[in-house]
Amino acid sequence: MPSAPTNPLVSDRFIDFLLFEVLDLEGLLALPDFAEHTRETVGIYLGTARRLARELLFPAYKPMDEAPPRLENGRVRVHRAMHDIYPRLVELGVLSATRPPEAYGQRLPLTVASLATSYLMAANLSAYGYLGLTTGAARLLESFGSDELKERFMGPLYRGEWTGTMALTEPQAGSSLSDVETRATPTAEGHYLVKGSKIFISGGDHDLTENIVHLTLARIDGAPPGIKGISLFAIPKNRPERGGLVPNDVEVAGVIHKIGWRGLPSLALNFGEAGDCHGYLVGEPHRGISYMFQMMNEARLMIGMNGAATASVAFHESLEYAKTRPQGRRLGDKDPRAPQIPIIEHADVRRMLLRQKAITWGSLALLGLAARLSDLAEHAREEASRARAAMLLDLLTPIAKSFPAERGFESNTLAVQVLGGYGYTSEYLPEAWLRDQKLNSIHEGTTGIQSLDLLGRKVPAAGGAAFGALLEEIAATCDGARDAGVNPDLVQRVEGAAMAMRQITLHLGSLGAQGDVRGMLLHSADYLDLASTMVIGWTWLRLAAAAQKNRADRPQDHDFYEGITSAAQYWIRTELPRVGYLAQLCRSGEDSYDRVRPEWF
Amino acid sequence: MKILVALKRVADPDNANKVKIPASGEKIDTTGLEWKPNPFDEYALEAALRLTENGTQPKVRAGEVVVVTFGPKETETTLRAALATGADRAIRVDASDDKLDGDLVARALKALVEKEKPDVVLMGKQAVDGDSNQVGQILAELLDWPMATFAATIREEAGALLVGREVDGGVSTLRVKLPAVVTVDLRIVAPTSVYSTKTPSTHKYNDGVRFAALPAIMAAKKKPLVEVKLADLAPDQALKVSYHGFAAPPARKAGIKVKDVSELVSKLKNEAKVL
Ligand SMILES: Cc1cc2nc3c(=O)[nH]c(=O)nc-3n(C[C@H](O)[C@H](O)[C@H](O)COP(=O)(O)OP(=O)(O)OC[C@H]3O[C@@H](n4cnc5c(N)ncnc54)[C@H](O)[C@@H]3O)c2cc1C
Repeated sequence: MPSAPTNPLVSDRFIDFLLFEVLDLEGLLALPDFAEHTRETVGIYLGTARRLARELLFPAYKPMDEAPPRLENGRVRVHRAMHDIYPRLVELGVLSATRPPEAYGQRLPLTVASLATSYLMAANLSAYGYLGLTTGAARLLESFGSDELKERFMGPLYRGEWTGTMALTEPQAGSSLSDVETRATPTAEGHYLVKGSKIFISGGDHDLTENIVHLTLARIDGAPPGIKGISLFAIPKNRPERGGLVPNDVEVAGVIHKIGWRGLPSLALNFGEAGDCHGYLVGEPHRGISYMFQMMNEARLMIGMNGAATASVAFHESLEYAKTRPQGRRLGDKDPRAPQIPIIEHADVRRMLLRQKAITWGSLALLGLAARLSDLAEHAREEASRARAAMLLDLLTPIAKSFPAERGFESNTLAVQVLGGYGYTSEYLPEAWLRDQKLNSIHEGTTGIQSLDLLGRKVPAAGGAAFGALLEEIAATCDGARDAGVNPDLVQRVEGAAMAMRQITLHLGSLGAQGDVRGMLLHSADYLDLASTMVIGWTWLRLAAAAQKNRADRPQDHDFYEGITSAAQYWIRTELPRVGYLAQLCRSGEDSYDRVRPEWF
Repeated sequence: MKILVALKRVADPDNANKVKIPASGEKIDTTGLEWKPNPFDEYALEAALRLTENGTQPKVRAGEVVVVTFGPKETETTLRAALATGADRAIRVDASDDKLDGDLVARALKALVEKEKPDVVLMGKQAVDGDSNQVGQILAELLDWPMATFAATIREEAGALLVGREVDGGVSTLRVKLPAVVTVDLRIVAPTSVYSTKTPSTHKYNDGVRFAALPAIMAAKKKPLVEVKLADLAPDQALKVSYHGFAAPPARKAGIKVKDVSELVSKLKNEAKVL
């Protein structure tokens, strides 16, 4: 018996709570840029996403996991189910939902688009992957491409006629993109001739559409070394020529055998083996990495949502299982003839479920919050609000990317654990989600890279202005929670942890300012853990305050609000205390792994 | 072809445990319920859309589908969603859920049919809340139109519909002359269940009902949705059916284990009295 048929993937009530009770969607829709949208259009869109996810994507998940794409005669064939799913996701309008009409979109707030997408991801991460990558590629062209490039490539991508990829990674250039070696030689006709090899390129070949556009990092001959010499190119699998499409010398060198995301091919690609691979420069020469960076927040929030969604679907699966699996008796009940009780009656099972809920819903809420900041950064009325939102978003992005991935993985292991021995078999789905989840801490910047980004760049940026703004936000939430009548002990704990985070941040910042970069960054991983635990604690306090405010008006939702309050209490009482410990660790200069030499292992 | 589709919203059947009955048992407490379109009516809408297009070019309309619902202002969301999936126009007959019965709805629909003059009235075989299974039949009687209920397939012919109905032991096929009333069953949304004269018989639809895509949701905001007073359609609003009381189904009692087959048979015979 595979998946519980009732798995909702993501809780509808919680998403509605986020949109309408926490994130003030009504306020967002009042902005002039979102004038076309109403609560009603948003509701209908969410309804469609939920249905497509549950009825079309989810049933295809296990078959796609079991039969990954195959390489046949140099070309990749994907699972049959994808041929049904792809056109319908295109039709749904996810590719360009948030884009303006000039870019084939409906300017839906990202807050709505990303929470709606969480259902698609939870249902079938790989299936949505084709679309997510395509949007990413089209976004780069929309922002930096010439009108001619937009017309030639962006249109077909946003219309879903072709798909897109991000072709960054090379064998010797993973985390270190400055080491990209793919070469581009200018020609008199304006295009470049590209030569090089890429690896791990997701969606790099398939039989869903007639063409694929690879947004590729490469070096123009004679470019300066390092990060300032890398340019961005659009390289189609087939190039438009003489009114048709001709092969563009892009070859599949192999498919990667992955442990997760098995519905989406990741490939080694060779460009220009026959010397005939045309690449079209996007924007100006040598600015490729900076273009990528400008798109990074959105890309990283998408990865964060992959993590939250993958944890969510497993949480719901294990919750349903725990309600129906009879095993054991209550503590102290010695009567062997008494019927066994469902495992959810055991406190330790409820611990595992509540922990999953705190991680999963905390992640969804943080990502909703980040998406709202992204909407405000682009569409708020006043320049000052836009700037503040942009600053906060930059700061929170490494957390919103890595927390759902790292803690989501822990949450996914708990889902396996709740199913006991059955969870360890491939007859049940939680093990598959565990495999999928692992990728999210690796791609789009590993967790290690996120920790350096947070502490080395985002926190000190503009003299710590963003960090100061975050502390203000936390303080405002605490005041609001107190006014709403949230248990004062929880509010105090959040205030205390924020204080501890402030002090350690000042300390590490001063090390950096004195030039002790090593001392500042030695515990970057612990600092990321600290900041994430704190930010999720702050998020849960916000949720608890909203629940407290609304529960009197909605007595029929008593259980839902109690569930919010319980998870908030759990995180703030059992996890937030780690902030103090982690702060000490960061301050201590503890140096075991710094001192240890490779030969000592 | 012009089709009128009657669409009712019902309390979400997947959340039936949220339905609360006050101690008085007078009525069902609807506060906080989540609403969804009645699934069978959604199937009727899908069938109507298939009958008014060439299935190979679903973006081009080749006919008109008008959806109608009875209910308070908030039921317009259900209509808007129907417009977003492809219906052309919508009508909300302003009414309160507890002041309607199948007879009154059918009488009001009759008046609406006389105004709108559709070729076909389509609706679900029943609504999954009351399960009354009446409106289509009463309406056909009032209009004196031919009727086919529980349609599993529909094929358009010149001036008629060929309707397949699943009955015990097989399929009975009826030819109903237009105008007609047809109520539909679950299988009507299978890939090869409905063909207009324009859709090639080789065409296969996606299984199930179509979805409201984002561009269509935005376009639906501009489609006409009008409100009509119930009194203008049915001056006599007396109800024929009145509800005398509601009670939740009794909670299931724990089962018992029997020793052997003979004890089972004896219990089935003497206690359950089913043998
Ligand atoms: C399934 C899958 C799909 C992918 N899809 C794509 C895609 O579509 N397009 C694309 O371009 N790429 C893709 N990638 C590649 C992915 O982005 C890289 O794997 C990732 O950036 C890490 O690079 P790497 O594998 O070379 O690991 P490395 O960079 O070799 O990292 C190995 C370890 O060293 C650590 N490390 C590296 N540098 C540092 C440093 N400076 N400081 C501290 N720690 C460091 C890392 O944190 C990591 O733990 C995909 C990868 C996978 C597995």
